[in-house]
Amino acid sequence: MLFYSNVSFAAEAVLLGLASGPACLASCGPVLLPWLAAEADGVRGATSRLAVFLGGRLGGYLLFAVGAWALGVAVPVDSHARTLVFGLANLGLAAMLGLSAWPPRGSCRNNAQRANALVQVGEPGRTRPKLALALGFFTGLNLCPPFVAASVRAVETRSLAGALTFFLLFFGGTTVWFVPAVAVSAARRIAEVATVARMTMALLAAYYAYLGAMSVSWGILHAQ
Amino acid sequence: MKRLTAILGLTAAGLTVLVTGLAPFLWFNVFTGAVSAAGLRIDPVYTGGEPARVIARQGYQIIIYHPVPQRALLPRIGPFVQLAWKPAAALPARVTEEIDLDNDNKPDLVASFDVPRDTKTDLRVDVQPLTPRVLAMSGVGQDSFSRLIARVNDAIVVRVPLRNAGK
Amino acid sequence: MPNEPKSKPRAVRTVSRSALLTLPMALFGLLMFSRTLALPGAAAKMAGLAAWLFMAGLFFFMMRTFETYRWRRIFFVTLGFLFPVGFIWDLISLRSSMSIPIEKMLSGDTPFCFLVIPMTIIPAALTKTIIFPGSILPTASNPHAIATMVALWVLATLVLGKAWCSFGCFFGGLEEGFSALAKKARINKINPRWRLVPWAVLAAIVLLSAATFEPTYCRWLCPFKTVTEYPEVRSVETAIQAGIFLSLFSGLVVVLPVLTKRRTQCAFFCPFGAFQSLFNKITAFDIRIDRDKCADCVSCQNSCPTLALDKDSIGRGKTLLACMKCGACVDVCHKGAAVWHVKGTAPNASPERARLLYLYGAWAFATMFGGDIIASSLQKLFGLVV
Repeated sequence: MLFYSNVSFAAEAVLLGLASGPACLASCGPVLLPWLAAEADGVRGATSRLAVFLGGRLGGYLLFAVGAWALGVAVPVDSHARTLVFGLANLGLAAMLGLSAWPPRGSCRNNAQRANALVQVGEPGRTRPKLALALGFFTGLNLCPPFVAASVRAVETRSLAGALTFFLLFFGGTTVWFVPAVAVSAARRIAEVATVARMTMALLAAYYAYLGAMSVSWGILHAQ
Repeated sequence: MKRLTAILGLTAAGLTVLVTGLAPFLWFNVFTGAVSAAGLRIDPVYTGGEPARVIARQGYQIIIYHPVPQRALLPRIGPFVQLAWKPAAALPARVTEEIDLDNDNKPDLVASFDVPRDTKTDLRVDVQPLTPRVLAMSGVGQDSFSRLIARVNDAIVVRVPLRNAGK
Repeated sequence: MPNEPKSKPRAVRTVSRSALLTLPMALFGLLMFSRTLALPGAAAKMAGLAAWLFMAGLFFFMMRTFETYRWRRIFFVTLGFLFPVGFIWDLISLRSSMSIPIEKMLSGDTPFCFLVIPMTIIPAALTKTIIFPGSILPTASNPHAIATMVALWVLATLVLGKAWCSFGCFFGGLEEGFSALAKKARINKINPRWRLVPWAVLAAIVLLSAATFEPTYCRWLCPFKTVTEYPEVRSVETAIQAGIFLSLFSGLVVVLPVLTKRRTQCAFFCPFGAFQSLFNKITAFDIRIDRDKCADCVSCQNSCPTLALDKDSIGRGKTLLACMKCGACVDVCHKGAAVWHVKGTAPNASPERARLLYLYGAWAFATMFGGDIIASSLQKLFGLVV
């Protein structure tokens, strides 16, 4: 009986993950897809970067799940604290996207080069793989509706180990949908793709920075 | 081979002219029919979702819609449930209604709003929750797509925010 | 045209032959404007007649002079300025305001704009929902339904590809008009990487719309909200949005076109233009550079409103993907090297035949769509005096 209830528990988590995968990919897409397209390392390199990204995303999920479990509540959907956390996560995401998009400091020697750098926001070939973990982590902290649904179910297991197991299996189910995303890196054959990808990240950094600032302001104002 | 590609190219070019010339007579009807058959719908965030059931009152109806789950990346819109009082012209000057959202014979909320004669006057609604699922509203006008009251055609539409995504 | 040298005088076609070539387009136009002509009131009849003569007349001159660009530009600029006139007129007369009331969104009466199309594709594919507050099928209160506009777009894409930006877009004429104001460009050197920004904007709005299920471009980036309709400014967020719309419009649609004599919003920002570029490969027409005749004077490159020609592409005898087939380069080329071309045929095979086939399709579309908008706006203006 225990075996069948364990199998049923695992199947539920994986199936929930598989069903939620498209929504998860759509939620993570704005961060993941331009970043995969921007680096110059082909499909194999993109696969390893995706793995690191997903590891960071899992870290974000588990951090929030453990924190919520420690507080003894399911993910508080309407809490001001949640909005504040999202806001800070979005600001972190904006910072990481901005770092990924812009050339490193010191690469422009004069005004002409600096002006050019504004457009060189798409300068290809500047691989910084450590950003993968940070991007994944901040994306993971942005709780999408499938994660909220999974967290409610996970808390019902009444044990931390059970909740973490449920999350890991749910995460595995969603990850299946992320694997085809590495195909985006094949577009690097077209030289301008990296430039466009980095420009996209710069635009998205501005968007997430705005979202983060508004959420943090709202969270602080309403917490008082 | 070159002759073949030239013939194909000129045929395609000629068809372009033909298709454009015939478009006002054939294209739009065919295309509209195809779109209709595809089963597309407008995002329920705008439409309020599909009607679930109708409560009959004296002279008017209250339409309760299926709840719209949270859709956005952040909880900016939804989840909410839309209620519509129709026709607006038949409503009394002040509406105060207990509404049972899930048809379990227990009211879930009390909605109250004035119905001014002047249709251009801004509307305000108060919602008092009777179950934990419903969130309160006080003097709400048009805060967001998930918290509002508005005159839509010949109805007064109220959107009440919910605590959890419903189906 | 930006930086245009004086072109060599060309031969003109005889009046009788030009009229004969114009006849099918005139008859088609009569059919298209018959609805307006049949409406009651002198204003409608005057508007229908004026629009018909306008479209047929411009086509006649295209036939007579063997030139395309300047006659097309007259139509396009007229469309660009008359569309907002008619649109704003309707808003003011119905609502006394240009702002979109939420009631209109809830009732599905918001007219569908083609700029939304790229953002709707992924959400529609995943969930069969359209993330726009319009109606799927035309209604009495909303004839500009989603099915109608998408039908128009599919037709335009098959016929025109990116030439939508030269014959269809009812916004592009605004900046084309402003770009023609100054005699000389004040800014001549433009980094070609700016041409990639529209693709980045397209990627950003498509990805964000799929993630958030709302039309990101309409909420945050559309410069043309300034001359159509926009959400009422009632909060910090809507105030920021209004600021962005105004800045983009004044910068990209007014100031930069005057300074550069280029269509800067189209070339360096518009995501729909980038989207249409994807379909340039499937249309039957393009523009080629005959390398045997080309003198490498780069007049064509200097004349292009959207920087769709550079030294590499000229060397290959082709335009870039961003070519909107406006005809500027063809008309300015002294040597007859830049020519209209039907794909599959030899590079210099009968360019005038290619141009005619292209124009019959493009102008028919322009008459059906833009011509109708011009007639409608003229009807409102004439109604003021008759």
